[in-house]
Amino acid sequence: MEENKTANDIQQTERTVNPYSAQAVKRALGRKRFGELLILFVFMLFFYGPLIHAFMLAFANVYAQGDVIPSEWGFHWWGYVLGQQNVPKAILNSFLFAFCSTGLSLLICIPAAYVLARFKFKGRKLIMFSFLIGNAFPKIGMYTAIGIIYYKIGLMGTFLGVLLIHMLGTTMEMIWLPAGAFRSVPKHQEEAARDAGAGPVRTFFSVTLPIAWPGIVVAAMHAFIGSLGESVGTLLVGLPQWRTMMTEMYGVILDFPATAGAVFAVIIVIPNMFLLWIMRKYVSADTMAKGFKMG
Amino acid sequence: MKTTKKSNWKTTLFIIGALTPAMLVSLGLVVYPMINQVIRSFKDPKSGAFTFDNYVYLFTNKLSSNAIWYTVVVSILTVILSIAIAYLLAMFLRFSNSKISKTIGNLYLIPRFIPSLVAVYAMKTIIADSGLLNRISLLFPENSPLYNYKPGMLYNMKGILFMNCWFNIPFATMIIVAALAGISESVVESAQDVGAGKLLIFFKIILPLSYKDVLIAATFVFMSNISSFTTPYLIGANFPQMLGVYLRKQFGNGKYEIAAATSVVIFVLCSISAIVYLYTNMKEQAWEEN
Repeated sequence: MEENKTANDIQQTERTVNPYSAQAVKRALGRKRFGELLILFVFMLFFYGPLIHAFMLAFANVYAQGDVIPSEWGFHWWGYVLGQQNVPKAILNSFLFAFCSTGLSLLICIPAAYVLARFKFKGRKLIMFSFLIGNAFPKIGMYTAIGIIYYKIGLMGTFLGVLLIHMLGTTMEMIWLPAGAFRSVPKHQEEAARDAGAGPVRTFFSVTLPIAWPGIVVAAMHAFIGSLGESVGTLLVGLPQWRTMMTEMYGVILDFPATAGAVFAVIIVIPNMFLLWIMRKYVSADTMAKGFKMG
Repeated sequence: MKTTKKSNWKTTLFIIGALTPAMLVSLGLVVYPMINQVIRSFKDPKSGAFTFDNYVYLFTNKLSSNAIWYTVVVSILTVILSIAIAYLLAMFLRFSNSKISKTIGNLYLIPRFIPSLVAVYAMKTIIADSGLLNRISLLFPENSPLYNYKPGMLYNMKGILFMNCWFNIPFATMIIVAALAGISESVVESAQDVGAGKLLIFFKIILPLSYKDVLIAATFVFMSNISSFTTPYLIGANFPQMLGVYLRKQFGNGKYEIAAATSVVIFVLCSISAIVYLYTNMKEQAWEEN
């Protein structure tokens, strides 16, 4: 349908008129408007329909076979889910891993990102590529590979073992995104600060960091959300000692009634949406896409 | 390591110091396990002797050989579907200034922040044979063809592809939107001024300026789908299985050598697309430089 819209554009827009001008838009309003509304409708139905539906189910006390709208609303399943003995601990664990892995990867990755963005040396691209492998290559393959080593060195089911798995998922974005951000800091601004007598550390914290901030914030948010959402790796190396919300979710999906799963899904999504809302001004296609390109 | 600028030992030390922790993580969590996995895949489970048996088993066993083909087919179809739709969506977002396009522009990235498990679960409540679609269809009169419509999407390829589109279209759109944003309006306008039609502008200006990023998006989509686990685990069939599900099963059964060989196969499949990625990323820059 997008194609039709483009075709309409060709016919309805005269070449001499700027197609982005208000007049042109107005002229094409009828059919174009309809086409755009259709796009919006399909988009919302496909991407948000399932989420909204799950949200609705979370507040359904009774959702019998054949009901479109639940016949009784309430918080019955919330009590049920939160009353499960593993659940509060799992929620706590999820945040514990998310905070630790985000903090640790910031500490490790930011210096590396800065160096990779600012210095030119032999093997730079090779190093950047090595981080790509960890992220882009099959997670499940990496997890099993690490799992086998964990068995040998006794990291299976330990806090450190699970923490490292969580970091694996975010290392690339934690390096590539901030590296992209550091690269976009104009060099002459840093040089000007240096000329004015600021030391390298002060230049970094008062010139470079403030400009590169959005990229770093987005990376940290990715790391945090990624860690909260990590399921497969924890499932493989953490269970049964370390359970997170995500590993519990597998069981909930498979064993519990749909409404209990919905409650769990909402609990899991709340922190993500909260973070996203706080950081909304930093989240743009431009900042995030930088994390997937080599500079 | 040497800097191209004025090189002194302090800078070198700084570079090494800043890179070492990250490199250690990468070596310990990526490189070493991978090498270990490759070696293990050539070992006999009992004697530890060198053998090709694990690979022979993978490619001759019905379940695993089917899994390999099925995974490749699903991944390629996912790439084609999601890139095509994402390109159209990105064009709409870039070249339309309407309120609707801005609304979608604000909303399309949010699914990227929904944990995959939650998304699969939510989709399942819609497309399951007793899900929302079916429940809505029960509202139709009993003799209408729509009555008691069963989507039939769970536990087969359709469901996996549907879900993969949900996951990959926002990502691919994000990469392509960023690329299209780099095409300045004045270039498009000046082409229009000299009389170029929309199709001509697309093929002569927009596509050449964005195909690299399209390839980057395709690479990442392909790689993440080759190894996808959550989606096929929860809405895929038992046969044919996707490689991620098969791998988990072998690992769970303690068949580490078969699991190793399976992940090497996944690595190799990913390498093919990684080469495409590297080639497009570095055509203009030699490995040594920069």
